[in-house]
Amino acid sequence: MNIKKFRREVPLHFMLLPGLIFIIIFSYIPMGGLVIAFQKFIPAKGLFGDQKWIGLDNFRYVFELPSFTQIVWNTLYISSLKLILGLIFPIIFAILLNELKSQLVKRSIQTTIYLPYFLSWVVLGGILIDILSPSKGIINQIITSFDIEPIFFLGSNDWFPVTLVLSDVWKNFGYGTIVYLAAITGIDPGLYEAATMDGANRWHKAWHITIPGMRMVIVLLAVLSLGQLLNAGFDQVFNLYSPQVYESGDILDTFVYRIGLLDAQYGVATAVGFFKSIVSFILISVSYFFAYRVAKYRIF
Amino acid sequence: MNKITTRSQLIPSSGRRKPVDWFTVINTAFLIIAAIICILPLIHIIAVSFSSSSAASAGYVKLWPVDFTWSSYEYTASREQFWRSMLVSIERIAIGTPLTLFLITLAAYPLSKESHVFRFRAVYAWVFFITMLFHGGLIPTYITVKELGLLDSIWALALPNAVAVFSVVLLLNFFREVPKELEEAAFMDGASYWTTLWRIYVPISKPALATLALFSMVEHWNHWFDGLIYMGSPSNYPLQSYLQTIVIQQNLMNVTREELMSLAEVSDRTLKASQIFLGSMPIILAYPFLQKYFVKGIVLGSVKG
Amino acid sequence: MKEFNPKGKMLKLSTLLLASTLVFSACSGNNGNNGNVAAPNGNTNSSTETPVESNNGPMTKYDPPIEVSMVRNLSDVVENNVLSVLDGETFEDNRWSRVYEDQLGIKITYDWVIKGNPDSDQYKQKLNVTLASGELPDVTPVDAVQLKQLVDADLVEDMTEYYDQFASPLLKDILAQEGPAPFDAATYNGKLMAIPQTGSNMESGMYLWVRTDWLKNLGLQPPKTMSDARKISQAFAKDDPDKNGVDDTYGLVATKDLWGGFGGLEGFMAGYNAYPNIWLENDSGKLEYGSIQPEIRTALLALQDMAKNGELDKEFGIKDGGKVSEDIASGKIGMNYGQQWNSIWPLQLNVNNDPEAQWQAFPIVSDITDHTSVKVPLQFTTTKFFAVRKGVENPEAVIKLFNMHVEKNWGETAEFDKYYAPPEAESVWQLSPVQPAPPKKNVEAFRAIDAARIANDFSTLEGEAKTIQEKIEAYESGSEEGFALWGWERIYSAEGSMGIADQYDKNNQYLLDKFVGAPTPTMVERQSTLEKLQNEVFVKIILGEPIDTFDKFVEDWTNLGGEQITQEVNEWYATTK
Repeated sequence: MNIKKFRREVPLHFMLLPGLIFIIIFSYIPMGGLVIAFQKFIPAKGLFGDQKWIGLDNFRYVFELPSFTQIVWNTLYISSLKLILGLIFPIIFAILLNELKSQLVKRSIQTTIYLPYFLSWVVLGGILIDILSPSKGIINQIITSFDIEPIFFLGSNDWFPVTLVLSDVWKNFGYGTIVYLAAITGIDPGLYEAATMDGANRWHKAWHITIPGMRMVIVLLAVLSLGQLLNAGFDQVFNLYSPQVYESGDILDTFVYRIGLLDAQYGVATAVGFFKSIVSFILISVSYFFAYRVAKYRIF
Repeated sequence: MNKITTRSQLIPSSGRRKPVDWFTVINTAFLIIAAIICILPLIHIIAVSFSSSSAASAGYVKLWPVDFTWSSYEYTASREQFWRSMLVSIERIAIGTPLTLFLITLAAYPLSKESHVFRFRAVYAWVFFITMLFHGGLIPTYITVKELGLLDSIWALALPNAVAVFSVVLLLNFFREVPKELEEAAFMDGASYWTTLWRIYVPISKPALATLALFSMVEHWNHWFDGLIYMGSPSNYPLQSYLQTIVIQQNLMNVTREELMSLAEVSDRTLKASQIFLGSMPIILAYPFLQKYFVKGIVLGSVKG
Repeated sequence: MKEFNPKGKMLKLSTLLLASTLVFSACSGNNGNNGNVAAPNGNTNSSTETPVESNNGPMTKYDPPIEVSMVRNLSDVVENNVLSVLDGETFEDNRWSRVYEDQLGIKITYDWVIKGNPDSDQYKQKLNVTLASGELPDVTPVDAVQLKQLVDADLVEDMTEYYDQFASPLLKDILAQEGPAPFDAATYNGKLMAIPQTGSNMESGMYLWVRTDWLKNLGLQPPKTMSDARKISQAFAKDDPDKNGVDDTYGLVATKDLWGGFGGLEGFMAGYNAYPNIWLENDSGKLEYGSIQPEIRTALLALQDMAKNGELDKEFGIKDGGKVSEDIASGKIGMNYGQQWNSIWPLQLNVNNDPEAQWQAFPIVSDITDHTSVKVPLQFTTTKFFAVRKGVENPEAVIKLFNMHVEKNWGETAEFDKYYAPPEAESVWQLSPVQPAPPKKNVEAFRAIDAARIANDFSTLEGEAKTIQEKIEAYESGSEEGFALWGWERIYSAEGSMGIADQYDKNNQYLLDKFVGAPTPTMVERQSTLEKLQNEVFVKIILGEPIDTFDKFVEDWTNLGGEQITQEVNEWYATTK
């Protein structure tokens, strides 16, 4: 019985083989390099050279740097907001878009909304400075017409994180919508027909058919984003931040960039990367098992 | 049960006006406004690319070119390296994306099975998934690529990230949504796992595969760091690696007068703009082309009958 | 991958040492006649009892030719302005590579080439990755941090003897022009571990650039003291100097990075005897960090005042130099502290948009002393060192390249128009992997042009001075092409910034950063944290935070590693005395 079952499974093992080979070569072998996190790594000595083993010192160094707590807090704060809004907004948008009857309009909008994804933050940075300028920017002109004080979006610690989050959502939602639209396409149209005959309006349909139909993708993306919780978006922050907003805007990655890479402290940089990986691993494992126990749902 | 047919239903143009569907109006308006907001920055960049250098440098250009000129495009078009690197990017996608699609399809199928059908499934799943979280870093990866003799070749760009685990996870979830009856029917007809995968699952998953193909293409197109690190000379750079040195922030701390020349001329804003625009056009156009795959699943209906 | 086999290397090294001792001792009788300067190329040791593979002259050709591997960056300038213009020349095969091969028998090969500037992040990363994979080329251009790594890992040759023996007198002269600092920076335990490609410290000097047409509009005189400068800044901000009826102008340029070659505040602060970011020697001969001195407090208060008064752009704190250049180009700012080249960029952009605009450079000013005695702070600009891999066959090859480069450009057999700046491609000299240049060449060029101006005879000009004069004449001709050279005229004409450099030099106004060693251990750990703190505090104070934040900053700086760093810096300093 077992042999028969095993024989049945063999093709499945074989199917996984090519992928496995690739990840062993390109992911697992390099993973050995994580030892760098425990060394006072000097590139010149070579990866296999005589590097000094310093155990957890790199970690200690980073954790003890002043403003480390502030930086981790910033990272979590910004990244959580991005996660939540970055999840909700494309979902809503995908549902709304799905309501459009005209394929032409739908497709054109789909294409235009994913354009911002392709603009780099270097370019967008310059544009945002102009639009958000407290004195000349259009957003503030609108704000002041309501008799409210202009807001220094990029220069005030109160507003900077919000600015980061909103601009990031704007940049990426088009791309995320693609996945959700693909998921919606997979929903059996018969369900909608049945609902119409039962007298459901579009809100009922959205809530009872569309969203559940996307449920799998939503949960999946949510969990995967959770794994990114300590990545608040280096590229964006690096291009938008300035000394005035270090307090609220400095994140783990910009921090590591300065101390790790500019001064070639690879050991430190790797240590922080390792730390982030471990945290992600814990978060995802917890959600995986939680989803399984509670909803009988295996995320992967 | 008796459907009452009114006159207006029989004669559509009988003069009775349909109530205004407020939702559609507002929804459409909202969506169009959102789309416009998304396209504005690109319009700005295009406007800059067609403007004169001086006007662009003073920030005079908003949404329409000032002192219209083709010169930035003439300059960019004459940059042999620009086009050569675009070819490298295209080559990279031509090799990398099909490879990725093949690998992730093969991997997602077994992983989508239930544990009692495929024992060790969970083990494999975690083995794959861990690679999404843990990375050795630049140095070990570089050394691996180097030891494989891939440096300075297109393979260094196409191979390392061929197995996009994120896509595997997405795809396996899509596969799980495929009705079991389809597979059972196929097995009863004597089909193997392999046949079932390619004859049934893949055709049904077109929207998912199209999405993942797009993701792969975009990743390849946008990746710039690996090009700089793995290629031994600029003539082998993919497009974004080539553009990276032009579009990055200029560090003004240690500029010598000689380096200044490049600040003043080469990184002229209109040039940057034209290169950005030309550099993103191809990939942006990929989506409309792929959209025809985003159609409702054709086969689903057939199961019920 | 190369195995690090210490024993094998020892063997190789001792063999080399033995061999070279033989050659040196055999050659000693010969030093008289070819240790000398303008030794024409291809001079081989003929009339001696030395062995045939004689490489004992500064420019002796290698016969048979040798190969030297390097790595290199390909800058945008070279790619776009030089290679694209020259026919039949490529990055690997061009006039410079040919000179090196034909006349020195040195063929240069590149393990890799990366696009970008030599101090770009990517270059550093790629170099680090190359180092980590154990593949050092024969000769590697590195920065101070990387050099220290290489020295610590014992991977580079001790160049002391080689430099002494093989550097031509011309080269020795040129590299020593601004003092021994570049060599100190490459010296470890008394040994020279790499050949420095000396930068020109002078070039980091600051000038006060002012919109002179605005001065005229408002009936003001050019600034001679800090009070003048303050008054001008106020007038520029408040009195509508561009006469357009709109209150849209600012006084002084500032950027979010605070420091730098354009819009940097170092020049302004120098007027208060405040010198941020560099190390100064105090009365007891010890080094102190400029950023925590009390004079900085005064300078910050002045800036705070100016900001309150609307003389600085309220948003300067979020704008980098590139963004601020827009304000210059659109004619919104009238005063700018910057280096000599600012007129080429970004000031030229202003003139392109507004031909009536005019900028002029002035010496930096102060209320404390006369402007002829204001100290002009200079950064240490030697950031490139050519390290030679240990065990290489001909370590002196790189020195010969240096010799040839300076010889062909400034030596007796110089062919300036071919090797430095031919009319069709100005930066041809950048084709050479090594680019040593006389640090004072720009000032010298100015002096030559100035002398010719006074004598009204430009025919005697040659080399760089001649090319520059042609640019000035092109501008003065009023032609459209000439107009694009306005920036050059603003540097080298009688009113030019170079003239001021000349004065600074003659008045002995330069104040060089005294710390030129590789970053100390605590620096490596703390510098970026301290810098971040410093810039954050300074920007906030300028934008209105109370000045006691500065006092707290000094305390924090000291406690977060500054004290430690100061100690280490002074330890280093003691070794150089």
